[in-house]
Amino acid sequence: MLDRLKDIVRKTSINVCIVNCGGCNGCDIELVACLSPRYDLEQYGIYLQNNPRDADVLLLTGAVTEQWEDKLHRIYTKVPEPKVVLAVGNCPQSGDVFAQEGGRVSAPASNFIPVDAEVCGCPPRPDEIISAVLAVVPKAMVAKGHENKKIKDNDS
Amino acid sequence: MIVPIGPVHPGLKEPLRLKLQLEGEKVVKAEIDYGYVHRGIEKIMEGKTWQKCIYLAERVCGICSYEHTQTFAEVLEHMAGVDVPPRAQFLRVLTNELDRIQSHYIANSTFFKAMDHEMLFMKVLELREYIMDSIELLTGNRVNMGWNVVGGVRMDANEEHFDKILENLKVVEENHDRVVELFSEGPVLALRSKGVGYMSKEEALKGRAVGPIGRASGLKHDCREFHPTYKDYFDFKPIWRKEGDNYARTMNRFDEIPQSIDLIKQAINNMPEGEFRTPVEIKTGYNECRNEAPRGEVKYMCETNGNLIKHISIRTPSIPNIDSCAKYMLVDVPTVADAIATYTSCDPCIACAERVQLTDTVTNKTVIKDLDSFY
Repeated sequence: MLDRLKDIVRKTSINVCIVNCGGCNGCDIELVACLSPRYDLEQYGIYLQNNPRDADVLLLTGAVTEQWEDKLHRIYTKVPEPKVVLAVGNCPQSGDVFAQEGGRVSAPASNFIPVDAEVCGCPPRPDEIISAVLAVVPKAMVAKGHENKKIKDNDS
Repeated sequence: MIVPIGPVHPGLKEPLRLKLQLEGEKVVKAEIDYGYVHRGIEKIMEGKTWQKCIYLAERVCGICSYEHTQTFAEVLEHMAGVDVPPRAQFLRVLTNELDRIQSHYIANSTFFKAMDHEMLFMKVLELREYIMDSIELLTGNRVNMGWNVVGGVRMDANEEHFDKILENLKVVEENHDRVVELFSEGPVLALRSKGVGYMSKEEALKGRAVGPIGRASGLKHDCREFHPTYKDYFDFKPIWRKEGDNYARTMNRFDEIPQSIDLIKQAINNMPEGEFRTPVEIKTGYNECRNEAPRGEVKYMCETNGNLIKHISIRTPSIPNIDSCAKYMLVDVPTVADAIATYTSCDPCIACAERVQLTDTVTNKTVIKDLDSFY
């Protein structure tokens, strides 16, 4: 009973934290455009929180720069369980144009924290980002919640 | 007391660390830490042809991505002594002004978000979507357009494009005044931003503030005045104010939007016929070029060897603006909430600022110690 209630809450209220770990801002302004009345992220129950301690989902943008190499994992550990990481744009997946000789980036982001899903594009359109979040996050939150419960039960 | 804010914080969009020194709730002094978005673009550009570099120039900053490509292209064109065809020049002005409008709208909307005024935030973003539609129609992409090439623009535009852009601009024009009135006449927002974060003209000169931030403090400097296309074909006068507070900076950006709309109309009405791209043979040499991006003056200094780029150095407007914000605006701010609003009012774009390593030249007594010394 309680589990089912938890599932419903996890599906319908998703708090998102944007972490720009060294991008060009292109993806960030597309994420801001998601909040605009035309795309309206909040009608799906997704809220922009920008505080890792209150968030369920980390939206990673940008290739991982030198300063972020240790900080990224620290932020990841601050997000309460169950958590989902979504990489937005080409940068956290491959480094995009910055992954060349001379560039000071250490993409992909999956070297540092586990990434659950990826959205391609430089930058992806707002509707692509929204459809990706909606396709992945509710199911993943429920599945991860069950997984964590199993681990806890086995431990006890 | 010292309050550290960032790098990931609800009040900030981009990674940056603000250290505020407080007396009660009054902000006495502020310090800013950069370095979170340093990618080394200038180094990557070395030894590459312009076809590869123009994409990197675009990704210096995602918000004012257009102006960077134009300046990069103009550096190499002026070096080769090639005049771009007039149609390409007009198309560049058209896209530049569209980009400026969307950048000013997003800067103001983040300011309203920092002031916790959700309604204006939404209203401004709603208007911005019409401009984004026009940009997408014209260039094929919303943010990183890939529209400029050395020697002109990538694609031609036709009457259908212009009609649709004018239609979108009409909607923006109709609703723009109402949004501005909500800000300037509303008792909550206007009073909270008047007199906060004051920077005088002398301080703006000392901090080398550029763009709308400098112009709001009375510096009549706009690079579009000296740009050959604007000088020869367009009727243009820079807009400036003398109050120098948060209100003036926001209003200055709002005032520049009707001017940009007017420039777009001039460009579409007087659009010349003909070629939109010429071949350019790149020679060995050195050149520099300045242009007015939405945030202020962008300067490219480029040295070539054959058709390869030997060395390039980019000066973006955000560095002096954020610097003058930390030194002069964030002094004697009444509350911490106002400090964040003041910081966003200077339209910071961290991605711009992060290609150089800044060293602090303050040698006299610094009151703020480094946070590590407390551990």
